[in-house]
Parts: sequence; C-alpha cells; structure tokens
Amino acid sequence: MDLISLLSTVLLVTTIGTLVVAIAAHLAFRLRDKRRPDRTALPRQDGGSLEPIFLERYSPAAAVVATAPAGP
Amino acid sequence: MKAPIRLALALLAIGAALGMTVYSFNMLRGQVLDSIGILLEDSFLAAVSVYLLFFLTLLIVRYAVLILYSFLEHMESMFKRHKTPTLAERDDVSLPMITVVIPAYNEGPVIQPALRALLQLDYPNFEVLVVDDGSTDDTYAKASAIALESRHISIRVIHKKNAGKAEALNEGMAQARGEFVLNMDGDTKLSRNTLRACVRHFDDPQVGAVAGNVKILNRENLLTRMQALEYVEGLALSRKAQSFMRVINIIPGPLGMFRKSVLQQVGGYPNDTFAEDCDMTLNILLKDWHIIYEPTAIAWVETPSGLLDLLKQRYRWTRGILQTCRKHRVAAKAGAASATPVIIWYMLFEGIVWPISNVLGSAFFIFIALKYGIAILLFYWWLQLTALDLVAAAYCVILEEEEPSLILYSFGFRLFYIPILDVAKTFASIDEWRVSPMNWGKLKREGKL
Repeated sequence: MDLISLLSTVLLVTTIGTLVVAIAAHLAFRLRDKRRPDRTALPRQDGGSLEPIFLERYSPAAAVVATAPAGP
Repeated sequence: MKAPIRLALALLAIGAALGMTVYSFNMLRGQVLDSIGILLEDSFLAAVSVYLLFFLTLLIVRYAVLILYSFLEHMESMFKRHKTPTLAERDDVSLPMITVVIPAYNEGPVIQPALRALLQLDYPNFEVLVVDDGSTDDTYAKASAIALESRHISIRVIHKKNAGKAEALNEGMAQARGEFVLNMDGDTKLSRNTLRACVRHFDDPQVGAVAGNVKILNRENLLTRMQALEYVEGLALSRKAQSFMRVINIIPGPLGMFRKSVLQQVGGYPNDTFAEDCDMTLNILLKDWHIIYEPTAIAWVETPSGLLDLLKQRYRWTRGILQTCRKHRVAAKAGAASATPVIIWYMLFEGIVWPISNVLGSAFFIFIALKYGIAILLFYWWLQLTALDLVAAAYCVILEEEEPSLILYSFGFRLFYIPILDVAKTFASIDEWRVSPMNWGKLKREGKL
C-alpha cells in the first residue's frame, strides 16, 4: 500500500469518526439544553422570586452549642 | 517571534500544502482519473460531483477575493497613517467623549478584570456604564466595588430587570453621555489603544460605526486554539476584506464603536432575533452608513473551552444570523440599498450553503469510499480544503502578527473542528427552517480574563 492510499484510509476512518462524534455531540447538547429543572413547585418569597434552596444560613454559635460535650 | 521567521514558517506551510497536492496528483494521476470516470457513470453521482466541484470553485473564488480585498485594505490603512493628523492624534482636550457600555448578565467571575482593563485605557475623555441586566449573581456588587475604587474615570452601574442583551444595550445607549458609544461584552478585555484607534475613523463623516478585532484569550486546549485560528482566519479576514468596501456584516458584540446619533437613528438594537449585533449592523448598512474594521483595537474574549458549550454558542449564532436574513429578506432583493443584498447573500452562503455542502461532501466521499473502495477522492477533497485553509491561515497570521503555531492547526481544523461545527450548523439551519423554539443559551463564564 503506497503512502497516499494509506493516508486516504486513515482519513476515511477519521472523517467517519468525526461525523459520528459531531452528531453525538449535537444530540447531547440538545438533550442537555432541553432538560430544565421544574421550578414551578419551588417555594417562593412574598415578592414572587424564588427562595434560595440549599443555602440555609450557617451559624457557628448554634453549631457549637449543639455539639458541645457535657462538662465534667 | 520575529516577522521574518513568521513569514518563513507561513511560506513553508503553504509550500508544503501545494507541494503535497501536486506531488500526490502526479503520482496517482491515472488512479484519480479512473475514479472520476466511475463517478460520471451514474447520473446522481455525476450531479453531486458537479455540484461539489462548483462549490469548491466558489470557495476558491471566495478566498481569493477576501485575500485580495483584505490586502488592499491593509495597504490603504498603512498609507492613511502617514497622512494628516486624525481625530485621535489631536490635543487631548479636543477629543470627543466616549461612553463604554457593558451589558452584564451573570458576569460575576469576569466583570472585575474587564473593568480593571478599562481603567488602563489610553484616552482622556471617557466614562464606563455597566448595565446589570437583572443578574442573579454578584455582578452588581462586583461592578459597584470597582466603581468605588475608580477615582479618575467615571463608572456608573445601573441595575435593571432582566430583559435581554439588546434591551440592556439600548438602556446603555439612552444613558450614555458621550458623543460616541463603545459597546462591549462583560467577558471582554480591551487593548489599551482601543478608543484612540477606533475614534480616528470618525473623522470621515460617512463612517457610522467601527468594528474591532476579536481575539481569544484562553488558548488553553486544542478546542480553544482551533477557535483562535478560526477567529483569525475566518472572522478577521472577512472583516478586513469587507472593510475595504465599508460594508462589514457583523459588528462584533465584544467591540463595536458607534456614533450615538447613528444608534438612535436605527432605533438601537432590535430584540426580535438571536443575533442582535448582526441585525443592528444590517440596519446601519440599510441607512448607507459606512462601517470600518480596526485591526489594532483588540477585544480579548473568553471562549467556550468545552465542546457542548461551543455547539451551544454556534447553534445560537447560526439561527440568529438566519433569523436576521429572514427579517431583512426584502432588502436582499435587487434595488434595495446598494450593499445590503450582497451582504445578505454572503451571509446565507456562509450560514447555510457552506456548512451543508461540507457535510454533503464528506458524506458523499465516504459513500464512494465504502461502496466503490475509492478513498483517494476523500483524501483529495480534504487536501484541497486544507490547502485553502493553510494559505488563508498563513496570510492572516502574518497580517495579524499572530502566533505562527496557529498555521499548523489548519490540518486538524479541516479534519475535526470544521466538520463538528458544520454538523451543528446544519442542524441549526433545519431547526430554524422548522421554526423550532429556542432560548438564548447563556454560556457559563469560567473567569479566565
């Protein structure tokens, strides 16, 4: 097999691979873009804006009190 | 790297590509002619082959015209610099005021470096206006902190309800105190000479806007380096060529300077397409204002470093441009303002014909290779396109004084990068044709500025 034929074969495999990756990547992008969390059931503040979730204010004092070992 | 070394590298790459084409064709002339003979036996295969040959000719003409016009523009701008002092070279006190407008939505990770870069701009008379478009992160707080730090340059931060980038830019235009308005993105760093370099073009009363040169800052992986090559070879080359005719089709979002009166005349940015910059540029061209490209005014931007984010960005760009073409289709007909029909047809070629023809070409030659066992035609198809890319890349790298290593990426550019983007653009065109719903698709900032 001469050099050009070898390069042609490599290019054929690469092009097929690239097109497969391109289509798969596009489908993944569409899927990722389409899936959005359902925000309708989330708790709202009075003004109608979404209340932050997972962001309970951390208060070290309370934590210390709760976990402090009993004295002798 | 020194200019002669850059030139030598560029010429070497071009010579290698052309040499490989001629050598391989001479070696296998008989085999290639036999392969072409097989294509001509079937009428469908012959029709596709003729179309692809026509497309390839169009591409060669496109590259030749762009290189010729960009070269003429380069020469013209070099001669102009030796003429009478321009607006930017006069006494500082006589320079007009410029308002730099930054529409910002969730730009927390990048807004402070962008503002700090603005404080370094070499221009005596400008203000900065940050329009926080209802961000849900700390954009407002971070921008306000820099505003408090700044002593010599006025930085105003306006908070408004989220209504999209076009509305934020229009709010900036309404609040601007300057005679000229420079619009940029929140993830952009401007080069220090930007204002002086752009404002000098407004000496010409026919010039309504100036487009800047967008370059990629985060060249951290293969994907971002390929994008860097694309920005240099694809976008900068086109803009430079279009600039010679004063008809740039897209004033880029990261850097565009306008006469405020022109922005007001066209009614600001439209918000009914996903390519507000392209849409507004066409509106300016329809009023026959001239638009110029300024290569030394550089906007360094953060670009998507992941494949899916890049696809998201290009999907929006493609659909946005097609929406704009559809919106201005009346102008595309002959008899409308002189330059606009040509520009719209050019955008349709680049937006639809080029990517679909590329995908068709690859699919066609894969089919031929698998059915008839002739892979050599695919090789020649790739080689022709890569040779074109190499020539254009080398030319642009010299002109833009860019990294010479970008030229070498031309090989992978045509093999991996362009096919992946072309497939995404083809899907985007189909979706636009079907009028599928879409959203803005805001990219997550990585804070690389």
